[in-house]
Amino acid sequence: MRVMRQSGSRWAALGVAAALGAGLLMLGASQGEAQRRQKAQPPPPPVAKEVPHSPVGEVKRDQQPGAKESVQADVSARNVAVTSSFNGTEIVIFGAVDNSQQPSAESGYYDVLIVVEGVPGRLVARRKNNVAGLWLNTASATFDLVPSYYAVASTRPIDEITTEEFRATHGIGFQHLRFAPAFGQQQALSTEDLQAFREAIVRLKQKQGLYVQDHFSVAFIGRSLFRSTIELPANVTVGPFETRVYLFRDEKLLSQYTIRLNLEREGMERHLHAFAFGYPALYGLMTVAIAVAAGLIASTVFRKGAH
Amino acid sequence: MHFYLPVAEMSANIFIFLAMGGAVGFLSGLFGVGGGFLMTPLLIFSGIPPAVAVGTESAQIVASSVSGAFAQWRRRNIDFIMGTVLLAGGIVGSVFGVQLVGTLRRLGVFDFFVAICYVTFLGVIGTLMLIESVNTMRKARGGVVASARRSGQHNWMHGLPLKLRFHRSKLYISAIPPFVIGLFVGLLAALMGVGGGFIMVPAMIYLLRVPTSVVVGTSLFQIVFLTAATTVLHASQNQTVDVVLAMLLMVGGVIGAQFGSMAGERLKAEQLRFLLAALVLMVGLRFAWQLIAPPSDLYSISAAVG
Repeated sequence: MRVMRQSGSRWAALGVAAALGAGLLMLGASQGEAQRRQKAQPPPPPVAKEVPHSPVGEVKRDQQPGAKESVQADVSARNVAVTSSFNGTEIVIFGAVDNSQQPSAESGYYDVLIVVEGVPGRLVARRKNNVAGLWLNTASATFDLVPSYYAVASTRPIDEITTEEFRATHGIGFQHLRFAPAFGQQQALSTEDLQAFREAIVRLKQKQGLYVQDHFSVAFIGRSLFRSTIELPANVTVGPFETRVYLFRDEKLLSQYTIRLNLEREGMERHLHAFAFGYPALYGLMTVAIAVAAGLIASTVFRKGAH
Repeated sequence: MHFYLPVAEMSANIFIFLAMGGAVGFLSGLFGVGGGFLMTPLLIFSGIPPAVAVGTESAQIVASSVSGAFAQWRRRNIDFIMGTVLLAGGIVGSVFGVQLVGTLRRLGVFDFFVAICYVTFLGVIGTLMLIESVNTMRKARGGVVASARRSGQHNWMHGLPLKLRFHRSKLYISAIPPFVIGLFVGLLAALMGVGGGFIMVPAMIYLLRVPTSVVVGTSLFQIVFLTAATTVLHASQNQTVDVVLAMLLMVGGVIGAQFGSMAGERLKAEQLRFLLAALVLMVGLRFAWQLIAPPSDLYSISAAVG
């Protein structure tokens, strides 16, 4: 009798698992459908465009009237969907040098530098301090325009490719990131403190895989074709990404190209996020309704199973 | 198999959270507790942002206590008047608690505050339970039957105004003490992501002297409504409820609880209390360690809130 009762409730347990699992599957199915719909749509128009050369670039080109090289590039996926199965992704950036005068891929005639930058946003950095034997956050600094993601890829170490001045103007390299303390901070911070917070942000972002610098990750495949891959980890923030490709020869900028790529929530992921942040009270009520239903289903199923 | 959580905004391994729900469900079935005090810390230690852990866990507690409350209601073990007074206080406390979560997050001390609350309450309750269960076990071995003494003495509480008749609890006391207890539990529920049964039950037995037969039912009744209100408040004020994570925990939890209650039938009550006390103390110590151990990195970063 006891054995039967137990196996009964075990079946009931499976019943509840099945019921709730079915719920999850239904959500999953609707999301799959959304993804399929997404695929059926015609591909979005290309976003890539050749940007007008910055004044700096223009001047340098004029200094070299013989060179007519220009760079064009693209990414493997301009729209990356963040669905419920998103667990980071790898983006291939490839491009070509028009009128390449390079004798071979190995010659090292040109240098290519690629910067990928995520959406700039506000970030708080905090520092713990020991207060009466306990560790708690006592100091903080708020920074604006902190890129959510930042990657530099190049054919050689960036300080060999270009000048400090150029890197500072174009925001290339961790020390030239443009983020600045937010206006109207509650605490007045000393310069050393701000520098320490800045360094901490870069260090922690690197640890999270969100700030990446790889000196030899761009490779020429032929006389004009080059490629590089960047990793977007699972914790990356969705939004538009700007990819800037610079072509150098002997520390001089020959050409520049900008590609936009977009990381967007899709399917169920998108609906749930929009629901949670757009209609928070309703979302809360829905969550409670699911919880109550789950509890009641469990109680009904297990009660039946027990008899 | 990974799943990207829409609110926590991180990729999570489904099976880890199902297993976590199952394990905590097993223990809550075994000990007859809600399990919030175990689940919220587990979520925090597994990398879920503390505020999301607290908000999401309140949704899961709704699911795990609703079936218990339903069963108690069938057995007529709920004092609805007492429950309503406790709940009224609880909701006031929860509103304050959710506001406090928002403020503490902005100040960057929420993690610290949660740890302090856990160390304090789990430390005190764990120690009391441990002493009590050891004493009971020793007495049982010595052949002395432990009797639960309950003095019917009048105390200062009987001098308070707003007296109400609580029929089921066979009490005629002021509504103020239950309201205040409810308020306190509501505050803790919102801050710690717990149902608050571990404070509510002893408070009802020892302070209000509610008969044990209606304590559990009434406590469950108020926990269901309190955590439901807290979930909605967390979702609407702090946007820290992740429905996908909540569902994973619910599925694991209801299944685990069934096996837990089966296992619980094979253990003696004082043995169960001893094990529960040890568990409570372990969680408390884990938080204490977090507070006193030098952090691996003094710095931390987070997206600006509010």
